[in-house]
Parts: sequence; C-alpha cells; structure tokens
Amino acid sequence: MSLKYGVLGLLKAEPLHGYEVKNRFEAMLGGTWDVNIGQIYTTLQRLERDGLIRPLGGRGDRRKLLYELSPEGQKALDEWLAQPDAGPQQLHEEIYVKLLLATRIANGDLKGMLARQKRAYLQRLRDLNRLEERARRDGRIDLARLVRGALLHTEADLKWMDELSSERFGTEAAKTE
Amino acid sequence: MDGRIVVGAFRDGGGENRMSELVRLTDVTKVYQGGITGALNGVSMTVEKGEFTAIMGPSGSGKSTLLNLVAGVDRPTSGTVVVGDTDLGKLGETGLAKFRRDHIGFIFQFFYLLPNLTALENVLIPAQLKGNPGPGRARDLLDQLGIIEVANRYPARLSGGQQQRVAIARALINKPMLLLADEPTGALDTASGEQVMELLGELHRDGHTILLVTHDAKLATRHAARVISVVDGKMVDDVRLESSERAASDVIRVRSDEASR
Repeated sequence: MSLKYGVLGLLKAEPLHGYEVKNRFEAMLGGTWDVNIGQIYTTLQRLERDGLIRPLGGRGDRRKLLYELSPEGQKALDEWLAQPDAGPQQLHEEIYVKLLLATRIANGDLKGMLARQKRAYLQRLRDLNRLEERARRDGRIDLARLVRGALLHTEADLKWMDELSSERFGTEAAKTE
Repeated sequence: MDGRIVVGAFRDGGGENRMSELVRLTDVTKVYQGGITGALNGVSMTVEKGEFTAIMGPSGSGKSTLLNLVAGVDRPTSGTVVVGDTDLGKLGETGLAKFRRDHIGFIFQFFYLLPNLTALENVLIPAQLKGNPGPGRARDLLDQLGIIEVANRYPARLSGGQQQRVAIARALINKPMLLLADEPTGALDTASGEQVMELLGELHRDGHTILLVTHDAKLATRHAARVISVVDGKMVDDVRLESSERAASDVIRVRSDEASR
C-alpha cells in the first residue's frame, strides 16, 4: 500500500512524529487523499514492527514520539520506487456495472444512461480544468500534474461513452446469461 | 514567446447586455450532393450573447458544417439561420460577404493566411475591405496578442502558434459580434494550442461570444461552459456546465478509504 511507502518517503527527509506525518502527507497530496490519525499510528506501528522505521529518543508521550527511517526501511523504499506500478488495472466503474445490468433488464434506458454519464464526465473535465488552473496559480505543479492525469483518464472515459453510444445494445444479453 | 495577455485587453466584444440571443438556428438541414459526410438534419439551437460554446462530435458529424452555416460561408438546404438581427437566408451573395466581413471573426485549423503578405498586412485585409485602411488597430491587436515583433514577417517565417495569433488578430480587426473557431488548436503542438485556448478564454472574459468546434474535450471544457454534441448531423446533447470553484477533494481522490494492511 502506498500509504506505507508515503510514510517511509516522508521519514527519509527527516524524523517526524505521527501528527507531522499526517499533515505532511495530506499537504503533499494536495487534499486528494485524506487519512485519519489512527491510520497513521497503525501504519507507524506496523513499520516499526517490521523494522523499517525506529523510534528516535525515549518512548515517553506517544504523540511526541519521533520516528526515523531504518536502513531496512531505506532499502524497502528504494525497491518500491524502482518498481513499475504493474498488476491489474483498477477500475471504479459503477457505470460499467449499470450497463451490464441495464442490458439484461427489459427497457433498460441505455442511451439515456450513457448520455447522463457523458454529461457527468464533461462536468468532471470542467471541474478538473478549474482545479488545474488553481493548482498552477498556487504554484502546486505536483498537483497540476496529478490533475492532468485525471483529465486524460476522464477524456478516455468520455470516448468510451461515445463508443458505447454508437453501439447497438439488446442482442448480447442472451449470450452472456 | 509569452502567452500571457493583459486582462481587459479586448474590450470590443460588447460584454454588456449578456444573455440576449445572438444566434438562432431553426430546423436547419444541409444536404450535400453525392452524400458527402458533414450533412445536418433538423438542427435547432440558440446562442446567447457572451457565451462560450463548444461544439463537439466525431469527424463527419456535421459540426464544421454548423459553424459554416452560422458564418454565412455556406447556406442551409432548408431552415433559417439568424445572427444578430440578420436572417442570413435573406441576403444575396454580396450581402452575405459583407455580413461575414463586418460581423464574423473566423479562425481555422490551418490559419489560412495569405503567404505573400506580412503578418500585419494579413490582419489589415478585412479592415481595408471595409474601408478602414489604418494600421493602428492592427498593430494594437498584434501587440496584445504578443506578436508585434513579427508584424513584418511573412507567414512562412512564423511558428504555428504565431500564425494562429495572426489569424486571431485578423478575425478581431473589424470588431465582430461573433467569433467562430474551427479546430483552432488542431495543427498546433500542445503548448501552442493551450496558449491559443487561453487567448480565446481571455476574449470570452472580455465579452466576446465564441463558438468553438473541437474534438478535444479537455480543451473545450477549460473555457466553454456549454457543450453541444453533434452526431450524424443531429444535435444529441446540449449541456451547460457548472463553473463554481470546488475543493480538490471534491474533484479528485488519489484514495479515499484507505484500508492499510
């Protein structure tokens, strides 16, 4: 999980305690990934258990406990950074499941469903464009890059809707039952 | 070349009196002999003054035809096209040419600059045809578009982005009521294309009414708050998008429910 490696990466820069890790992680992600402090503490405990980080100084007040990267942690971080992000593509496509079901249900309003989804994607493009503009204005080039990726993904989603819109539905249901 | 433009540089668009109707197409059909693609089939739509509208659709869908009909470059087989107070169908060829020259600014994918004229001379043509030969406004426009330093160059010695800026200046020289753009970034690299789109956004903020034909939804939604979709000669959707500012976490999530292991 990349929260684990996000924490390792932050600790590589300097020793931090839990709240600092949470704040820096959220700031780094520009508001696109919220973590709660419980997740941070759990992650820190597991990393310590696995020998990837170690507490710095005395174990007094838990909240003030600083952690630093261990040599093993450094190695794990380097290996993770060197690995391409492979594995199956993660799709969170509710629309796909809706389509599957709509093709099986008589009177499934596919054209309407696709048109509504297309509008939602257009609105998302609009929102992403505004966010990118804001990120650049604020000097958040890293966030702008992320938004750029999201724009391209959404463009692909739109094209997918266009392709589906030009298809004829209604005959495949029997074959897939 | 710096793509930034001083805000308020273009005050000719008539920002006042927004949301009054500027274009009305009623049941417009265009049939091409021999079944060439790009035909239109019963399109009705209106464009409000001050709107930035993107027309999207696959190639051959009729979106460029739509633009050409609004520009008076082409005539519908049936139906009416009204721009401002003018029913284009009531104009003869001379009247139509004058209407285009005086009221429509048109930019294209491949710029269409005259190769044997300098940038400045290209911008001046529509003004001279209208009887305003003075180069003052043309120079001002080239200055505002950031290309005054190439005013005396010939198109062959300009980059694509510069050529499109010259074409934009030419489109604006007669203070058109409507700016039409047909794939204006289609022949440009990404950076130049984005600069041209920024310019169009700037012109819109200064009150210009813009109709943009594009297949790039990313670019279209950057400035256009309205998207019309055309497929097989029919208008299949017409949506006005929300433009309010939204928090980053409401727009994009790298991860929302982390299940750390």
